[in-house]
Amino acid sequence: MADDTAARHADHLGMPTTTNIIETRGVTKRFGARAAVIDLDLTVPRGSAFGFLGHNGAGKTTLIRMLLGLTNADAGSMRISGRPVPEERAAVLARVGAIVEEPHFHGHLTGRENLRVIAAVRGPEVRGRIDGALRRVGLLDRADDRVRTYSQGMRQRLGVARCLLADPELLILDEPMNGLDPGGILEFRTMIGELTGEGRTVFLSSHLLDEVEKTCDAAAVIDRGRIIAQGPISELVQDEHNEIDIGCDDRHAALDLLDGHPSVAAAYPTPDGIRVTMAGIDGAAAVNARLVTGGVLVSRLEPVRESLEQRFLEMTSRVGGQA
Amino acid sequence: MTLTVARQMIGAEILKVRRNRGVIAFALLLTVGVVVLLYGYVAIQHSSNPFQNEPAGGTLGMHRGIRDLGEFFGMLAAVLIGAEVGTADLSSGVFRDLVTTGRSRLALFGVRLPAAAIVTLCLSAAAYALVLVATFVFADGTPTPGLGLILQGAGWIALANVVVVALAVGVGSLTGSRALTLTAVIGWQAIVTNLLVNVSSLGSARNALLTPALTQIMPLNLGSSDHPVIMATGVAVVVICAWLVIPQLVGAWRTRTRDA
Repeated sequence: MADDTAARHADHLGMPTTTNIIETRGVTKRFGARAAVIDLDLTVPRGSAFGFLGHNGAGKTTLIRMLLGLTNADAGSMRISGRPVPEERAAVLARVGAIVEEPHFHGHLTGRENLRVIAAVRGPEVRGRIDGALRRVGLLDRADDRVRTYSQGMRQRLGVARCLLADPELLILDEPMNGLDPGGILEFRTMIGELTGEGRTVFLSSHLLDEVEKTCDAAAVIDRGRIIAQGPISELVQDEHNEIDIGCDDRHAALDLLDGHPSVAAAYPTPDGIRVTMAGIDGAAAVNARLVTGGVLVSRLEPVRESLEQRFLEMTSRVGGQA
Repeated sequence: MTLTVARQMIGAEILKVRRNRGVIAFALLLTVGVVVLLYGYVAIQHSSNPFQNEPAGGTLGMHRGIRDLGEFFGMLAAVLIGAEVGTADLSSGVFRDLVTTGRSRLALFGVRLPAAAIVTLCLSAAAYALVLVATFVFADGTPTPGLGLILQGAGWIALANVVVVALAVGVGSLTGSRALTLTAVIGWQAIVTNLLVNVSSLGSARNALLTPALTQIMPLNLGSSDHPVIMATGVAVVVICAWLVIPQLVGAWRTRTRDA
């Protein structure tokens, strides 16, 4: 459904309706002897909210800067909406809105005037979108105040309004939730949902892993310039150990009953029950039956689901250990 | 880039300068303010002792006003505005956001000079209008200029201001620093040039300096006697063209290659 909406939106914009809006192959960027991005393959599905995760210095902003033509790649190829960049960057970027690192403005101009400056550069048809963009990010009331009086959160929202002037099919937002209070983050999350609902793609780099998990459909993890995982969030956080938490009244009896059970690889007590590492994918029902028939009262049985943050730390520390 | 887009972009550049109260206030002071102060001062001197002090107006007064606007205070205003326009996007960090629109960097650079020149010429025109008023009001019986001389004066001020504003825009786009640009251009034009002009051992190499070239084609040519460097008018035109074009080429190159 989202793909259909995205394709219709892209078609309406006169852009190629490719399945993936960003595709990079073998992209490498070096700063002297240091490689910032190494042989990077990234695929961002059209119409998704895509999280781009990595520690500071992992290469997130470098990739974004290459995609936007702010700096050149040393090797590899990049395509946005099916078109090669930087070769066709002018045509591609006409439908891309981006905030790199943090939004910058002319502090002595008002919010509306800052948008007028960008509208003038983008083209004559863009000026008519200024009020709509300001309204959408909730800044219409403050549009005629000088930007130097804006809070960090207001600047972030004005940055998004500036992106919306392009009527973008792709928004590239680098750490957009920095400086936002909890209410602002919630509003931002809602807005990203609305944007993807319209068929736009939001490419979001962030340190706020919890927010990425709540906001994005898919993500990629970059560490020391290499992509180490990418895919739907549900797959990224999937517990590869296949563990289940069992709430029960007698932990010792439960552990005794499961000792040597063919479906159980390991089991250990937790504060309110036990955690069982399954030997295979199935077996939870057999474990439950064994406990109940053995006289243990089972109050809860649920698969262990790691947070994106836990998975991120596991993945990045694993790579670090290999280095 | 279409003409409509170019016009809009120039308008946006003008908006950025126009809304910068500090720059506009200083530029006004250096143009309109200086004319009011200088003519007022000379007029008061003349009225207090007409035999000792010449009148503020007349052809001689106009010549003084033209030099102030083209060579001295008007030049400072042009540098101020050119430095602001040349560095505003870079120093604020907005340049990166402009580049990410997909608009070519050369287009982003190309609208800076027209915008800076328009703002500078508006201020110079206002100041020159005051000069003309004072020329006739305070003539006190001395000869007054004809229309041809008035137009020549306007043209020379415009040329001098545009060349200096082009220099400031080019250097500003090269350095990205307003403070550095102001220091470099004002230092060069106001101090270094005046020192070099008086180093006779440099000989005809001094012809390459901007100020003597501008003085060479100044209306009335009363200024040439103040400068030890005399050159052919053709040479002066070539030198002025070089000062107009080379900083623009350097600024365009840096804008195109700068890591945004």
